[in-house]
Amino acid sequence: MAIRIGAMSCLLALAPVRAQADHQHGMVAGGGGDATSFAAGVSLIAAQFDTMSYGGDYQAVVPSLRWGRGRFAGSASLGLYRLQENGRELYGLGDAVVHGQLTLVHHHAVAAGAAVAVSAPTGDHLAGLGMGHVMIMPAAWGRWTVGRVTLDGSAGYGRALGSAASHHSHGAWPLVDPMNFAEVTWTASGEIPLARVLRAGGRLSGGVPVGAEGETRVVAGVRVLWNAGQVDTAFELQTGLAGDPFTIRGVFETALRF
Amino acid sequence: MRQLVVTLCCLVACGGPGTPAPTETVCPDPDPNTLTYDNFGMQFMSDYCIQCHDSGLVRSERNGAPLYHDFDSLLGVVQVANHIDEQAGFGAAAENTFMPPSRCPSVPGGKLDRDCKRPSDDERRKLAEWIACELGRPHTF
Repeated sequence: MAIRIGAMSCLLALAPVRAQADHQHGMVAGGGGDATSFAAGVSLIAAQFDTMSYGGDYQAVVPSLRWGRGRFAGSASLGLYRLQENGRELYGLGDAVVHGQLTLVHHHAVAAGAAVAVSAPTGDHLAGLGMGHVMIMPAAWGRWTVGRVTLDGSAGYGRALGSAASHHSHGAWPLVDPMNFAEVTWTASGEIPLARVLRAGGRLSGGVPVGAEGETRVVAGVRVLWNAGQVDTAFELQTGLAGDPFTIRGVFETALRF
Repeated sequence: MRQLVVTLCCLVACGGPGTPAPTETVCPDPDPNTLTYDNFGMQFMSDYCIQCHDSGLVRSERNGAPLYHDFDSLLGVVQVANHIDEQAGFGAAAENTFMPPSRCPSVPGGKLDRDCKRPSDDERRKLAEWIACELGRPHTF
């Protein structure tokens, strides 16, 4: 029971910051029990960017729904953005993202599994709010707990469905969450409890383009997560180290489990 | 779940809300030199583009136009000629109407306070042909 509650807590608290602020996967340990759990959350995002062709900032509200049962978990989210790019201000939806996950191994301190995220091009790709393609992003993930420290990692592949010729060529794109047309994705993170309801950690993530065009992208972030009853809350401060994804970005997320 | 799959398939099949595409316009051989920067390109850019795509405009004045896409000179046009073709040109392979946008500034760098002038279909075809020919001409920038 304790494992199930702990794992589900991780799922509900960590998945949003990882899966909804990025196009990338939100790999988390699955439960192992049979209870079904739901959560509704919202992320608030604010970022500044400075790419080869564009400078500006954006803010977003990203509602999400999540579900977990035993080895399975899933989530869906769709963000509403305000984007300011080179002096133009606009509002619009981002790309809708659906994420599914399966835990294949869960043995004491080790867990591993597979996940897939799919994004639909609901965002205006010409304005920088979306990829302009359906994206398929399968991945493998693992988690290892060593004493008080929990380490997570994932490796995957993301690819747009459609023609690469139509992909944007103004540098990092879309502005609100850049990805390459085809890329290898990765994440590595660590986390440690600071108090009974408070944890802190750091994360690196990135993408390496597959094919002739694209840019290697690396993002670093630090975060704190806290729990109050059925409410899980997290804040992550991120910076782009390579590939101009953004200069700085903050993601505040809270979710209610029921 | 079934509705989600159908929706995703539709988005894949439709390719989203529209994508800029090359017009695949080819300059006649030999180049007739009927469309040039002086007799067509400069006026086209002045009428429809440089209110935002001007090298003298800083980021905050460009109303969303990307940097290094400045059409107040032939050099600026030639450097990203394929983008212009994909955004505004008409040809056998595509008819692109992504640019100009719906709203434009009255003065370069100003607020979006008026509806943009729209090129005619014929002007868009001439734009694609001029670009195709101009790229094959000798330049001494």
